[in-house]
Amino acid sequence: MKKLVKSNKPTRLAFAERMVEYGEINQDFVVFEADIGYSTNSYLFDNQYPERYFQMGIAEFGMMASAAGMAANGRPVVVAGYGVFLTMRALESVRSFICYPNLNVKLMSSHGGTTAAIDGVTHQASEDMALMTSLPNMHVFAPCDSASSRALFDVTMETQGPVYCRLMRDSYYELYDESATFKCGGSNVLCEGDDLTIVSYGDILFQAIEAAEELRASGVSVEVVDAYSVKPLDWDTIGKSIAKTGRVIVAEGHQQRNGMAYEIACRMAKQGLSAKFDHLGLKDTFAESGAYPLLLDKYGLSAKHIIDVASEMLLEQELAV
Amino acid sequence: MPKTAETRMSAQALGELANNIRLDILDMVYKAQSGHIGGSFSAAEIVTTLYFAEMRNLDPQNPRLPHRDRFVLSKGHACPVWYACLSRLGFFDAEHLDSLRKINSILQGHPDMKSTPGIDITTGSLGHGCASATGMALEGKAAKDQRRVYTVLGDGEINEGVVWETAMAAAKYELDNLVFFIDKNNLQMDGTSDEIMPLLSIEDKFRSFGWHVLTIDGHDIEQILCALDLARLTKGKPTCIVANTTKGKGVSFMEDVRNWHGKAPSTEEYQAARAELVA
Ligand SMILES: Cc1ncc(C[n+]2csc(CCOP(=O)(O)OP(=O)(O)O)c2C)c(N)n1
Ligand SMILES: [Mg+2]
Repeated sequence: MKKLVKSNKPTRLAFAERMVEYGEINQDFVVFEADIGYSTNSYLFDNQYPERYFQMGIAEFGMMASAAGMAANGRPVVVAGYGVFLTMRALESVRSFICYPNLNVKLMSSHGGTTAAIDGVTHQASEDMALMTSLPNMHVFAPCDSASSRALFDVTMETQGPVYCRLMRDSYYELYDESATFKCGGSNVLCEGDDLTIVSYGDILFQAIEAAEELRASGVSVEVVDAYSVKPLDWDTIGKSIAKTGRVIVAEGHQQRNGMAYEIACRMAKQGLSAKFDHLGLKDTFAESGAYPLLLDKYGLSAKHIIDVASEMLLEQELAV
Repeated sequence: MPKTAETRMSAQALGELANNIRLDILDMVYKAQSGHIGGSFSAAEIVTTLYFAEMRNLDPQNPRLPHRDRFVLSKGHACPVWYACLSRLGFFDAEHLDSLRKINSILQGHPDMKSTPGIDITTGSLGHGCASATGMALEGKAAKDQRRVYTVLGDGEINEGVVWETAMAAAKYELDNLVFFIDKNNLQMDGTSDEIMPLLSIEDKFRSFGWHVLTIDGHDIEQILCALDLARLTKGKPTCIVANTTKGKGVSFMEDVRNWHGKAPSTEEYQAARAELVA
């Protein structure tokens, strides 16, 4: 597995920086903001292209419907905001006026999952993936670091139709370099193994990697998949991996219910693929304010929790033999 | 009964208290290294006056008395000012102030009715709080009690459409038990209100929506008290008090500076701010 390097660039910044560069490549698209431009970093686009930047005020629902109007003639719109406000406050605009007519509106969404940490529940987007993946025509991506954010900005713009791209408040690690490839419906197998598959994305991917490293050190052969394309999901790769290892853990910074794990379980059942299955996420509960690592500890999302679940899974199988 | 001029704290004492509340806010945000000082300081006199001179039937030992007056901080990010007032009134121990935004704390990053004694409604997503306050005022009418409901909104917050939906409903139901303060500090997150979304005349807007409207200096306690008296005397209409304020009020290098919206002070900044507030 590639060595992780500490990062000081949050995905929300890497994504916005690429958006500014892309402003030259695609001269048609515009950006909508709702007064958190210094937080989403969309202000960088304003600095470069003020005539293509629309500051709509603190009015997410109206902004989203206006984005639909702007996009109705084919002009792509990037809408910046926090996950909760884009996916919940503005949900009906996203559903009925962007997804239904399949418009080119791209949601650049910061503070995904519990990464808003200290701000508390009103700012944590812990149901965003369930909502966005439920919408027909919507694509959902979740980069974990700078290189994947930059690459997925391009994929976002090249994908026809609406996209929800989930970004994070803080920086964690750099995993990829510029040579890594990303595509709509793709995933990356970060390390190969035979005993256990761990599927994750975004911030929790780093917990998965840490867990995998510890498990590998104790002799367990773990395969880690970065399922950055949450919808469409790369079932081809994930299904093959589960068939090979016979065990899968899905770990996400999201409610357990209606997250990626539900889709994987559904596909396994449909295909008759039998394997040990478990999943980590918020257990039908809201989180709270707190430092990010402490939240992961308290709500069962840390590397340690993944290791515990894996150990139990491996033990059960041994006893059964 | 409303407090009479004799039983009320004097304007001067309230002013001193508001200043101490600013110190509490500064300490809280410094210790948490996170939180919103600018908007907490701009609302310090308003929230202090409401809690210490205006609101009735508040009982820290029994925070859910049905007929108590209600306060809703619709601009929930300014919760340090609310927490400071509640702790000084004895709703919870002052030691909790050190746990702001920390895990397991009763003081969440944004106001949470399930965690904090004295907080009646969760806010933090702008716009919703004033609509919830309107529901509380409607419930007061339904319950036929004498409660009054006080709300503080940010001037940026009123960009949200829900504020205007609510303004119509409150006028329709003649909610004379409802008061909105607009903390008009002319700043929001990305810039001045003129840059982000020109508000033109907030007074004209509310007046045309059927409200009783007053304009005051939001740092002048006498004016706040007088506006509250006039609001209480007004029947058949909700009152909107447009309070002209300064974001970051009280610390020279924080006043009117966009960046102090949601920034935690460094040790040097903390000490300098403290020195100005105790001077
Ligand atoms: C619905 C919603 N959108 C965005 C935010 C992020 N946000 C927090 S404070 C703020 C600016 C608020 O400005 P204002 O209402 O003027 O408050 P004040 O100046 O008193 O701090 C923004 C955009 C939020 N909390 N809720
Ligand atoms: Mg303001």
